[in-house]
Amino acid sequence: MTAYTERQQGSKLSDFLQTHAHVLSIAAFLLGCCLFFGAINPVFFSTGNLLNLLRQASPTLIVAVAMTFVITTGGIDLSVGSIIALVNAAAALLLRAGWDWWVVSPMMLALGAGIGVFQGYFIAYQKIPAFIVTLAGLSAIRGVALVLTGGFSILIPPSLFLSIGRGTVFGIPNPAILGILVAIAGYIVLNTMVYGRRVCAVGANAEAARRVGMPAQRVICSVYVWSGVLSALAALVVAARLGSGSSNAAVGTELDVIAAVVLGGTSLAGGRGTIVGTVLGALTISVISNGLILAHIDAFFTQIVTGAIILTAIWLNTRIFDHVGSVRRR
Amino acid sequence: MTGASPLEAAEAASSPPHAAGAVPRMRVRGIRKTFGSNQALRGVDLDLWPGECLGLVGDNAAGKSTFTKILAGTYIADEGTIEIDGERVEYSGPAEARERGIEMVYQDLALCDTIDVAGNLFLGRELRRGPFLDKGAMQQGAREMLAHLEIRIPNVTAKVAQLSGGQRQSIAIARSASFNPRVLILDEPTSALAVAEVEAVLALIRRLKAKGVAVVLITHRLQDLFRVCDRIAVMYEGTKVAERSIQETSLEDIVRLIVGEGHRS
Repeated sequence: MTAYTERQQGSKLSDFLQTHAHVLSIAAFLLGCCLFFGAINPVFFSTGNLLNLLRQASPTLIVAVAMTFVITTGGIDLSVGSIIALVNAAAALLLRAGWDWWVVSPMMLALGAGIGVFQGYFIAYQKIPAFIVTLAGLSAIRGVALVLTGGFSILIPPSLFLSIGRGTVFGIPNPAILGILVAIAGYIVLNTMVYGRRVCAVGANAEAARRVGMPAQRVICSVYVWSGVLSALAALVVAARLGSGSSNAAVGTELDVIAAVVLGGTSLAGGRGTIVGTVLGALTISVISNGLILAHIDAFFTQIVTGAIILTAIWLNTRIFDHVGSVRRR
Repeated sequence: MTGASPLEAAEAASSPPHAAGAVPRMRVRGIRKTFGSNQALRGVDLDLWPGECLGLVGDNAAGKSTFTKILAGTYIADEGTIEIDGERVEYSGPAEARERGIEMVYQDLALCDTIDVAGNLFLGRELRRGPFLDKGAMQQGAREMLAHLEIRIPNVTAKVAQLSGGQRQSIAIARSASFNPRVLILDEPTSALAVAEVEAVLALIRRLKAKGVAVVLITHRLQDLFRVCDRIAVMYEGTKVAERSIQETSLEDIVRLIVGEGHRS
């Protein structure tokens, strides 16, 4: 007699571990980094330092949330650092010319959106690879900032504007609050809204998304608009914190941001993005740079160590944890 | 061949079962499509009738997939006209064809690997509460859809990448058959399916026919054609070379037409 039995369903726990392997691994890595730097220098765990850390992480985090959307569509935006520099400089110039901050701030967000539309148009509708378009943007946009400022740093006259970067609410720095709000909004949009589903679908299979009637090109264009807007927001935070605007702001920020997103487990191939991972990734980047300073490591070595740690973390994430939660890949 | 030229046979086949003056569900005339220097389609005419299954066969690169993608709006024809229920339509993309009830199972399945089963079944027509996804309702709907088609996928929250080729194909079929299509195009829907699942697809085609859906079936499994189709159209090098009513043809006849002996002699 032949007995037919049903295959057992796996346990809920192992399903959970499998689905969230990347996020759990970066969480463990972040915790490890904190404990390590805390052991070297107890100041690391002081309230002052932790709040400072959050304030420093904020611009990277804000842009990384948008970058998560961009990378989830299978794209990349290398121009975010340059957009920060341009908005930063333009905002400082306008504020110095006596414009009100509540006029300048929305204008700057609109400027970021405009740059995003411009780049998104070439990527989505003209089918030029995002890498190329935003690489051109990386160069040209910072060039505009240099032309505007002549290369000089522009002092921002004291006003309420500076509190965007320097103020606190219940002891928590405003930039940190902005960063958290942006991250929560990003989480809700990516995981629970129709727009987020479209972003994932376009990244997983753009042609399939088009065939089922999704506006695939518009979705691709839109993520660059978000990346422009949030870069502009980050630029306002940076300008307000430093009290000045400079065309040399945020050099290399795009690399920190992309590293944060990839550390968090968002797939560069597109289709899979995680905001929780991105938050942890951005915090990890900040903890490393903050911790190395507290550990009194020569500033010149910091870059080398940061690069090595990022490569190691991503290597762990992709090689080892993929085997733990091995999912069949086609 | 029995003396009649392919053209006469085609004309004879396309008129009989339908009353004079009846309007076909879909009528396409003179469809041409060129990719670069490659003439994919060189003027294809076809009528699809409600409640009828048309088998579309032909050698590799005969233009079957290109032709059906034009019906589904995925490609836009260079020349030719498409009428749905007697009304001339010009679509600008697949969304419009889908709105008019034309659904297609693509050979590459057009699934999103990183999205779960329920999400793929509702892809492009997500159930929503305001701007938010109604995931619970979609999972419930997905279970019902799969149960209705007797497809066994235990976990509708599993990512499609984790499923087998046959399960993926079943999902693509369920997606296109579950939203009351008026025309259903199946491009090689059974290539990865096991015996029982092929039977289920054939049963599904019969059910849809009974509900008045016009079905187009592309397959290399010629024996299946004779079990569900009412007519068979044969394509060769971007043209339709023959159309046969199922009663007046045989497997040998169809094979001869596909390889091109029928029209050369």
